[in-house]
Amino acid sequence: MDESVRRSVLVVDDEEIIRSFLFEVLSEEYDVSLACDGDEAIEQIRKRRYDVIITDLKMPRVSGEEVVKFACDRDPQSKVIVISGFSSLYTVSQSINNGACAFLSKPFSIKELMRTVTNALCA
Amino acid sequence: MSFLERIMSFRLRTKFVVPISLLLIASILTVSGYLIKRQADGFRRELRTSGETMVRILAMNAESGVLFESRYELQELLQILNQFDAVTYAAIYAEAGKPLASYGMWSESDIVVKRALDRGARADTIGGGFYVKNADGHEFLELNYPVYSRKEILSRETLGMTSGIDQSLGQRYVTEQIGSIRLILSLAKVNLSIAEAQKTAILLTVVILILTILVLTFFVRVVTKPVQMLVAVTDQVSRGDLSRLVEINQLDEIGHLANTFNKMIASLRQSREEIEEYNRNLEEKIIERTIALEEAQAQLIQSEKMSAIGQLAAGVAHELNNPLGGILGYAQFTLEKMKKNAAAAGLTKEAESYIRYLTDIETQARRCKNIVQNLLRFSRSSHTTEFEDVDVNQVIEDTRTFVEHQLLMNQISLTVDLAEDLPLIQANASQLQQVFTNLIINAMHASRSDSQIRIESRYSPAVGEFGGAVELRFIDQGHGIPPEIINKIFEPFFTTKEVGKGTGLGLSVSYGIVKEHGGEIKVDSAVGKGSTFTLIFPVQKHPVDADNSLKSGIGV
Repeated sequence: MDESVRRSVLVVDDEEIIRSFLFEVLSEEYDVSLACDGDEAIEQIRKRRYDVIITDLKMPRVSGEEVVKFACDRDPQSKVIVISGFSSLYTVSQSINNGACAFLSKPFSIKELMRTVTNALCA
Repeated sequence: MSFLERIMSFRLRTKFVVPISLLLIASILTVSGYLIKRQADGFRRELRTSGETMVRILAMNAESGVLFESRYELQELLQILNQFDAVTYAAIYAEAGKPLASYGMWSESDIVVKRALDRGARADTIGGGFYVKNADGHEFLELNYPVYSRKEILSRETLGMTSGIDQSLGQRYVTEQIGSIRLILSLAKVNLSIAEAQKTAILLTVVILILTILVLTFFVRVVTKPVQMLVAVTDQVSRGDLSRLVEINQLDEIGHLANTFNKMIASLRQSREEIEEYNRNLEEKIIERTIALEEAQAQLIQSEKMSAIGQLAAGVAHELNNPLGGILGYAQFTLEKMKKNAAAAGLTKEAESYIRYLTDIETQARRCKNIVQNLLRFSRSSHTTEFEDVDVNQVIEDTRTFVEHQLLMNQISLTVDLAEDLPLIQANASQLQQVFTNLIINAMHASRSDSQIRIESRYSPAVGEFGGAVELRFIDQGHGIPPEIINKIFEPFFTTKEVGKGTGLGLSVSYGIVKEHGGEIKVDSAVGKGSTFTLIFPVQKHPVDADNSLKSGIGV
């Protein structure tokens, strides 16, 4: 992997604290953009390509599932990680079926997050 | 009320006794009256006959006395009458009515005799007899009879002459009345006898009547007493009282009636008892059903409550996950930063305490995370869990290995008694293990040192529409669960442990898992003796599997 190029990450979550936390953690290694709901996320994905898209599922207006579908359709190379408080087998399998590559159940530790993102990028 | 109706309204006894008595009186009076009349006639005739005989004899013997007017002789003749006390008075008269002799004991009050004396001898009364009555009712019979003289006729023939025969001379004698005789007889004696006979007859009538009434009364009583008893019992029965029977031991129609009536009472009693029995059963059934219904309702309320709590818990848990994520994340993030800084610039005392605070925040946030995850597990719906064929005995053994160390530390022994023929059930093994672990740890917390925990498994074969089931029992000898909280132990956050020691989610999560398996969890407990948790898991083929095998069978 080319270390000089910083990978781009889009964080989609309606919770401000999660967005800002993820920004703080990820911006050390990645180029992080933020979107506060699905609508905004799709808008941004249309504008440019992201290496990793981290999205919540339950959001107002357009849901995370739509974001997952849209992102995978638009660019199958993009890696989508779903983060959700609804960590049931159903939501997990649903997300995977829609094209997500990983599922992180909220709340997660920094270690878990970094490992998941790294794994997604290596795959 | 007409006469007939009035008679019909009399009592039975009166109806019998009065007419029979009246009939009896009438017949006795008729018969005895007739007999007395005949007897009286006979007495009078006899008296008259003997009187006539007497007067005739007297007349015959008085011929010479009257002819010669010999008073002395006639007086002597009349003395014969002394022997007949019925003779009140007798007198002999010459032809001109001149009294020649008399006999008699009469008083001045005997007006009849006096009158007869005053009357003297009268030709018109001769030859007849008649009855006369004194003023005091004394009766007499008066008889008059002529005294004749017979003159012998001396005819020529008797004298020896045969010529110049006169027709009148053909007679041998001629009779000529020369006087008369009168006899008065008293009927006092005769009438006395008749009166006595009448008295006797009346007395007899009265005696017979009384006897008849007594006998009749007795017999009517024999008839009416059972009838009265029947009436009394009928009255009772009509009022609904079936306690009495008719006690009549007779072989006649009334006895038969009583028997029939008793049979009727018995069958009434029986049907009433049947009805009462039926009512009782009905009441019992209603009570039983009501209890069952109440239990079912309570269970329904309980399960609805649990499901509502589950939904609430799930909602709360999901909402908590986001802020929790922030708290945990920032705590970790800041902690790492501070550690890095400390490594670079050296650890100040201030930094050291911040690191400790952040570590605390992280630890507590993790604890929150665990609570939320448990809550979610409690409320989890079935389509989220994967099921497979599981050997419950194996899961129990695995759990045992898992908790053995902890039990050993607490000096509590665990014995298992597992049925060998246990069928596999559709289950999630790790969830089952979670449930078993929870139950064992709870039992351990409730038990003193050196006590025992026992796990049993057995197979209950299919009964009716309910298929076979695997039944597990977790038995401890701990302090037990007080009855007032036994209904709450499966609710989330309910705990009896010290604050910080238990979350109060263990049993509620176990409950959720068992329900998810289509099973049941129940508890029996006695304070001071211990508790028994019973788990029942249904044994049945997974419907999807059955479907698949069918498809593959057809397809290949």
